[in-house]
Amino acid sequence: MRWSAWFLVGALCWAAPALAYTSAGDRAFSATLLLPQIAPTDEIYVKPFTLPQPGGAAGAARRNTNLGTTYAKTITDRLGVSVEQTFSRVDRIGAGALTGWQNLDLEAKYMAVNDIPREFLLTLGLDRETGGTGARRVGAAPSGATTPRIYFGKGAGDLEVGLLRPLALVGFAGVQLADAAPRPNLVTGGIAVQYSLPYLQSKVGNFDLPWPLRAMSPVTEIVFTAPAGRSFGARATVLIAPGISLAGEGWEFAVAALVPTSRATGRGVGVIAQFHLSLDFLLADSIGKPLFSEP
Amino acid sequence: MAITRRSLLRLAIAGAAMLAGGRNKAVAAVPCGTVVALSGQCFREAGGQRQPLKLGDRVDIADTIDAPAPGKLKLRMSDGSVIALAAGTRVTIAAYITGAGGERDTARLSLSGGLLRAIVAPGEHVNTFEVSTAVGTAAVRSTDWFIEMQPGAAEVGVLSGRVVLTSAATRQSVTIPARWGARLEAGRDPVPARIWSPAEFQAVAARTEVQ
Repeated sequence: MRWSAWFLVGALCWAAPALAYTSAGDRAFSATLLLPQIAPTDEIYVKPFTLPQPGGAAGAARRNTNLGTTYAKTITDRLGVSVEQTFSRVDRIGAGALTGWQNLDLEAKYMAVNDIPREFLLTLGLDRETGGTGARRVGAAPSGATTPRIYFGKGAGDLEVGLLRPLALVGFAGVQLADAAPRPNLVTGGIAVQYSLPYLQSKVGNFDLPWPLRAMSPVTEIVFTAPAGRSFGARATVLIAPGISLAGEGWEFAVAALVPTSRATGRGVGVIAQFHLSLDFLLADSIGKPLFSEP
Repeated sequence: MAITRRSLLRLAIAGAAMLAGGRNKAVAAVPCGTVVALSGQCFREAGGQRQPLKLGDRVDIADTIDAPAPGKLKLRMSDGSVIALAAGTRVTIAAYITGAGGERDTARLSLSGGLLRAIVAPGEHVNTFEVSTAVGTAAVRSTDWFIEMQPGAAEVGVLSGRVVLTSAATRQSVTIPARWGARLEAGRDPVPARIWSPAEFQAVAARTEVQ
């Protein structure tokens, strides 16, 4: 398998948590499937995804299928950690499928800004992928990587834009610094545009939408990775995921198409889904609250 | 929600007393609480009369309690619940029915303006403690929470337990767990609940604290 394909698997694996119940004022940012979470939360979720690969000679990957699980825990109201583990299956041309775990991934996040009137969030994150904890046969790198990131979320609710007030933009940017060659350093980033129908119903006007429409948010995400410095054969990848999120009380389900924009990213359309449980809502009095909090 | 024959009877008696209260002073008022803390000047309005309140005064079903700024007030109700009114708050006790043992059967307050904190004792049934506003109703069983009526909107914050906030216009509800809050604007669905910051809770707690 080409480096680019491995990097894409990696990108999708760390592209982690849902944004359910990540809020800035009355703006609840919808779950995203590719972008990492923009703030610390208490949550658990699973995320299966599958994407056809370019293929090639015998033994080359023709499809990647993964199941990721993430648990996130708040330490204080603004500081949290998350741990993620992903199981992968690589279907190959003219050979049997390979299965195994990806590297263990940990991240700490600190929410530096939560501007309630402006529906704006800014979070600093530090992600650590522990090298050698996964199976190399499915692309887990023998060496680890550390990724400092910055996240933001901004709702348009404070702007005089009428029916566009339910729009929100979330995004992140980071640099993945590899522990050792031949793993390249990567620049990573992404944005998601969301239109929240719950926000429309509760903050803009009552349009009497039926369920499940009133609980839906169309979301389109774009993520990219590009080698920084020596590439070791890696190429830039860009993945677009138009999808829909459906939110209830304490849960959220989202599904999206995975549309690669180049052969380095994939070939053909894949699909990604996510089921999310918000522990800070469902178990607010026990494990769903920060370890250290007031009141 | 189970409604016993006994509670229906009490409700009917209280309702009759409330309806008659404004017209016929001969009908006995039904006491439901006592003033346990007071700051500044607060009033009780009943039967067209407005009386200043002092510590130890009782309040009755159908009374309107007015705490014009800078006045604040704290009531201990007959079921053990505590209701604290911030300055600038006006609330009517529409119903407050308790059993022989003091357990609450039904409590309904009508908040026309301002902020109140309710530390609600456990009731017999689910959601037997309700605060209604012009835009919707918040219902609880036992919890410590705040509700503020603002122009065209109501806001609820929950310190413990859970509150169900329902829009009067759309009948849509949100459940608000501990540490969360939600806003309801006139004529719309409730805004999805969100986690409140400690600063937000501290702000409303300070406003309802009565020395």
